[in-house]
Amino acid sequence: MLRFYEKRTWFFSSKSIRDISLVLLGFVIVMCAQAQGGPPPGGPKGGGGPMAGIGLPLGFLEADKDYKFPDDITKYTANDFLMLVRRTDIRSSFYNSDMNATITTVNVSPTRGTFVTKEQIFRRDKDDAFLMLTLEPESRKGQGMLRVDNNMWRYDPTSRKFTHTTLKDTYENTTVTNNDFRRWQRSIDYSVEKLSVGTLGNYKVIIGELKANNDEVPFPYIKMYIEADRKIVLKVEEYSLSMKLLRTAYYTQYVQIGDSFVPTVQIFQDGLVPEKRSQVTYTNISTKSLPDYYFTKEYLERVSQ
Amino acid sequence: MHLSNFKLHLKLAARNLRRQPNRTIALGGAVAFSALVMTLISGFVGGMDKAIQDNVTLYSGGHILISGYTPSWSGRLQNRFIDDEIAKTVESVIPDVRTVSPLAQARATVVFGTREIQLTLRGVDWTKDELYHDSLILSSGDWEALNEQDRSMLMSSQTADRFGLAIGDQVVVRLTTASGQQNVTDYAVSAIYDDAASGGMTTAFVSFGDLIADLNMKANEQQQIAIFLKDSTDAERAAKAIAEALTEKGYSIASGTSGSEQASQRRMNSEKAVYSISTVQELAGEIGSALGSIRWIGYAVFILMLLVSATGIANSYQMVLLERTKEIGMLRCIGFKKKDVFASFIFEGILLAGAAAFAGIICALPIGLGISFIPFDPHGDFGAALVKGHLRFAPTLDQLLIILVFIMIVAIVAVFLPARKAAEVVPVEALRITA
Repeated sequence: MLRFYEKRTWFFSSKSIRDISLVLLGFVIVMCAQAQGGPPPGGPKGGGGPMAGIGLPLGFLEADKDYKFPDDITKYTANDFLMLVRRTDIRSSFYNSDMNATITTVNVSPTRGTFVTKEQIFRRDKDDAFLMLTLEPESRKGQGMLRVDNNMWRYDPTSRKFTHTTLKDTYENTTVTNNDFRRWQRSIDYSVEKLSVGTLGNYKVIIGELKANNDEVPFPYIKMYIEADRKIVLKVEEYSLSMKLLRTAYYTQYVQIGDSFVPTVQIFQDGLVPEKRSQVTYTNISTKSLPDYYFTKEYLERVSQ
Repeated sequence: MHLSNFKLHLKLAARNLRRQPNRTIALGGAVAFSALVMTLISGFVGGMDKAIQDNVTLYSGGHILISGYTPSWSGRLQNRFIDDEIAKTVESVIPDVRTVSPLAQARATVVFGTREIQLTLRGVDWTKDELYHDSLILSSGDWEALNEQDRSMLMSSQTADRFGLAIGDQVVVRLTTASGQQNVTDYAVSAIYDDAASGGMTTAFVSFGDLIADLNMKANEQQQIAIFLKDSTDAERAAKAIAEALTEKGYSIASGTSGSEQASQRRMNSEKAVYSISTVQELAGEIGSALGSIRWIGYAVFILMLLVSATGIANSYQMVLLERTKEIGMLRCIGFKKKDVFASFIFEGILLAGAAAFAGIICALPIGLGISFIPFDPHGDFGAALVKGHLRFAPTLDQLLIILVFIMIVAIVAVFLPARKAAEVVPVEALRITA
């Protein structure tokens, strides 16, 4: 009779367990890469590859590449328009590189008068991350805002405190929201309800009425005016749940940088107080790679001093 | 001490005090002034504490608040819940509760013409409300209009004045729904309350049903349960009992004022609703911390006054000792013992300090009441500590007794050294020196 420590076990040997573990690990790595849109070709670089993207649905960037849009704007279907919105989302963003720019905002308010702010923004659209530092006015110099991993903080160098903020919050009580500094992803958040054709100034546009896909999108309804020829957004109206116009955004100037079309002049007009408006101008746009530590609270704290 | 001795010492002390009326009045006046200042400070600090609690009850909507957070499809906790069981549990745990009513509130931007203001919008079930009906003073409009008219708003006079609003005016309200969407609705101003009479509060009130609809919540959903007790001092005990009862029934409770933060932290690992319980004392404590400096100044003045009184009494009785050396010698010669001499000094000190402190406290009461009639700015830094724009003077009997006892103890300590010296006087030596 065998003693208890002499009993033979019929489990896998340690070598087999190691081999199985390696196979499982490889499987997990492949699945993770798939979920993230796959590794960038040529290995990781500063700005990441074209297929990466946090918070983007699978195939978001790939499906756009070969999509054939109708030549006649009256022939657009809901799916065509949604793909057009996706095209504008992708082209206004920087998935192949990082981006930094200077933003000058001129705000007009019936109660506060006219005031100007200047910020430096650093964006990594593939990770949906951005860092913004206030340069002007002098009284607010050093204040910052950081979005990373679906969290958003505002930093005040005077109190040295981070406070949690959200994308839907307005920036300094103006008509600009925190969401306006982020990458566009309307094609993810909305579905098409109604389409029509019209003109906006001298441009022929397709007008799409969109409804939010879920109840956590800040604006439940939007109306987009997209110029089909250049495939750029000219105007967006944002509506409340009760269908009242909350804000109108005009994208009056675009600049092409690589594959991206950046709306460099954006005008936001309040729907409830029409006299309240803001003009946001992007200058000194650069697509230079940014170090990873730029998108950390430690860096924001350090650079704000 | 024998009763006859006690009476003798008391009589002797009273006689000694009458012998030097000017000194007694001067010394007694100083002690009475100290007692007066102490009474005023403790009375007003106590009144401010009470006023803060009352105003916080108005700001928060009840003595105890139970907030519920339900996870959404994305895992984000939203301030909304459906559960009738909680209200029933509260009523069974606290039988003497005044009201248990649903509450909803939102941070809203109110727009009128080109002007806009951010304020808290609170939804109140007017049919169950007792708190606001009892506490708010309407400067225009009436409660019936709020109950009867659709989409009517009760607004503070400060907001109404700023906008130039009058009864019947329509305002646009922009708010964020429970799930985070933007919504815009209209309300008509049906009544205006005097915010100076409610600690400078700027909260606007609407019907609970209307606000629930604006927040895109179902009719049976609520954000908070407001519990209004008969006695606000029971809030802590009642909150504890509610938390225990709900925990026993399997509810997830994050207690304390930071409950919502704790609830938020659980956003990713909670699949069921999380509740937080806060009391008026906790909320008042946060606001009351602003009064901390006043309280410390009060304590400092209290100690300073005691020290001044002690120094005055000690000095005076050193002088008394010199003046009465011959008399003490004679008393010792006719049979007074050391302890009798000692006791006569101590009794004199107690009698002087006690009578003076009592007089000071009595004088403080009309002065405190007089000060409480002076109007202050309810929108200033200490607006939350005011009652109808006035300081509340609310000394308690305990506080007055403490002041009286402290002053008498200080008098004993101050007289102790001169009394001991007096007791140690050698009769023959005293008579020889003063002969």
